[in-house]
Amino acid sequence: MTAIEISKVTKRFGTYAAVNDVSLSVPEGSIYGFIGPNGSGKTTTIRMIMNILLPDAGEVSVFGRHSSTTARDDVGYLPEERGLYKRMPVRRLLRYYGQLKGKSVKDLDPVISTWLERFQLTPWADKKIEALSKGMAQKVQFISSIVSKPRLLILDEPFSGLDPVNADALKDAVLDLRRNGTTIVFSTHDMSAAERLCDRIFMIFKGQKVLDGTLDEIQSNYGHDTVRVRVTGGRATLAGFTEIDSVNDFGNYQDLRISGDAQAFLQKLAQKTTVQHFELTKPSLHDIFVRIAQPTAEDMKRPVSGAD
Amino acid sequence: MNRIFIVAQSEFLTLVKTKAFLIGLLLMPIITGGAIAFQVYAQKHSDRDDHKFVVIDHSGVLSAPLGAAASAFNTKNGDGAARTGPHFVLVPTDTPIAADDAAALNAYRLQLSDRIKSKELFGFVEIPATAVDPNVEGAPAIQYYTETPSYDRFPTWLEQILNEEITRRRFDSAGVDQKLVKKLSVRADVQTMGLVTKKADGSVEKAKETDPIATFVAPFAVLFIMFLSVMSTAPQLLNAVIEEKMSRISEVLVASVSPFDLLLGKLFGVTAVAVLLALVYFLGIGYYAIYAGRTELVQPALMGWFVIFLVCCVLMFGSMFLAIGSACSDIKDAQSMMQPVMMLMMVGYIGSFAVLRAPDSNLAMGLSFFPTSAPFIMMLRMAMQPTPPIWQPALSLAITLATTVAFVWAASRIFRVGVLMQGKGATLTEMLKWIKQS
Repeated sequence: MTAIEISKVTKRFGTYAAVNDVSLSVPEGSIYGFIGPNGSGKTTTIRMIMNILLPDAGEVSVFGRHSSTTARDDVGYLPEERGLYKRMPVRRLLRYYGQLKGKSVKDLDPVISTWLERFQLTPWADKKIEALSKGMAQKVQFISSIVSKPRLLILDEPFSGLDPVNADALKDAVLDLRRNGTTIVFSTHDMSAAERLCDRIFMIFKGQKVLDGTLDEIQSNYGHDTVRVRVTGGRATLAGFTEIDSVNDFGNYQDLRISGDAQAFLQKLAQKTTVQHFELTKPSLHDIFVRIAQPTAEDMKRPVSGAD
Repeated sequence: MNRIFIVAQSEFLTLVKTKAFLIGLLLMPIITGGAIAFQVYAQKHSDRDDHKFVVIDHSGVLSAPLGAAASAFNTKNGDGAARTGPHFVLVPTDTPIAADDAAALNAYRLQLSDRIKSKELFGFVEIPATAVDPNVEGAPAIQYYTETPSYDRFPTWLEQILNEEITRRRFDSAGVDQKLVKKLSVRADVQTMGLVTKKADGSVEKAKETDPIATFVAPFAVLFIMFLSVMSTAPQLLNAVIEEKMSRISEVLVASVSPFDLLLGKLFGVTAVAVLLALVYFLGIGYYAIYAGRTELVQPALMGWFVIFLVCCVLMFGSMFLAIGSACSDIKDAQSMMQPVMMLMMVGYIGSFAVLRAPDSNLAMGLSFFPTSAPFIMMLRMAMQPTPPIWQPALSLAITLATTVAFVWAASRIFRVGVLMQGKGATLTEMLKWIKQS
């Protein structure tokens, strides 16, 4: 069964199409990563899934239901920009958010206690939000999106602003939820997190879908044109090769994108210097992202929109 | 429906659990009572100084009785630690100065003024020679010079004492007996009575004298409690919505409840707070009225009307504040927009003073049927005598209900769009556009 089915959806703000004819199918139980530069349409897409915005054209359905409130109760949502009621105590806030999803206090309380315990927030349960540190408040907000035990969890930039310890705690929690059958969609700028966590990746750029598939599929599409080399003399030695399109310098080694035959390039390189390491690799998600979203002159002219 | 209740409950608890609410509810009467008690105490105990004064008495006969009156006044106010008021001390003049010696008089006035400035004296009084002359046309002008004109206790006392003495002397010189004057000049009072009614057995019930508490204080209290309850609840919705917008809570809320349910929940929560506030005040007053034996002031039917009008009033103004809050992006933005709404709220309150004096005037009628002032003014008039004919509160309620429904509807249209808007606040024209678009 599919958790989310988006078919030919378009959303315009004025004349600007924030999302343009996008289709997407998120299978139940998967972790789907939404990537894309700022302002490319990620949040707009998420808001349409959440039924906060209605598409101008096309259809969005969640668990087979078209933008109905019953489907909404099965969805947990963590928006990108965070905020909580400053003067509300933690437990009351979590109860309120759960009740709004149709759960009773009786069902919510054990869930709340478990999660507070897991994130070491139990001593803070009756403190007001304003007494919490930023990291704690972010964890409370994460809990607020899952107290109702949603079947689908949508996280907009969940890792931004978290220290490594908290980010790891959150990743573990996300993986646990997936193991229990929760479908998870999260948007991120952290490409390595997307590579490690996601079953499938969806990239939207300028309102259009540019990538959709498993990491393997995506990498295959982008070819084996990336070579990782370590040579005596380092980066300076690599100058002057017409085959090299771009160099990503990591100091001890360099990732090169080359055109033409890799074996021929290796021979040419071996004639010039000592090759210590030569490896054909798949392009990283980071590289693919950058290749797609390379800023062009046209980008600079595009008006900045509030809708991401 | 369930979600509306959950939002309302949360809103109610958030408002009621604040310190501001508790202070408003419990401490307000204490503070008001305390302030009055303090004033009474301060008046009795703070003014315990000696006020020395000099009299330039050109009539030659008034300074002696004034001195005697001052001594009596001082004795009455006690001495030492038991002293309860000021002492007025007459300081004798050094040398009598003739009334026609202008130069010497001016010099003396200047000298006295300097002594006042140096705090040796409090003031001086100049009594003209004609003060006790029965043949002088018009009132003689007695002049009181002081640096502290705001202190009116002394001149009030002075005027009373001098006038008693002057009239006594005038009557004496005209050969009229003082006792006769007193007897003949007793004042006639006008009593304001209610109407005469017929008893069950056909005899006529005697009319009762009207009292200011039933005619003015009670109706105004009803209006004031309505005003206070609306004023201390409805505007809070504005801050609440802006807080939710600025911290992006609205986005999470709208992902769980429809904007309309959210709006209704908030309105109901705040309405419950307003009703609670009003009931607490009324219970307090009702308890006191019964305790003081004024059970006729407690009118359950009037309370029914009050609650209905109060609910409408909070919904009406609350929806305006919600609409504004959702359309603005920060408090500053909202402040200028909320001024007109505040003014609308004040119309009823300010108008009440005129209505209290003339409850049947055209102004009173107009304000009773003007949507935003109708709940206030109609309540005021219903608490007054004679109560308006039933069609008037009925029409007023119909207008109020229709306006309330219209305002809540319009607010829900604005709220739906506004609550998710970030960045620049909306203008009035944009808000009107949001109402119209489907």
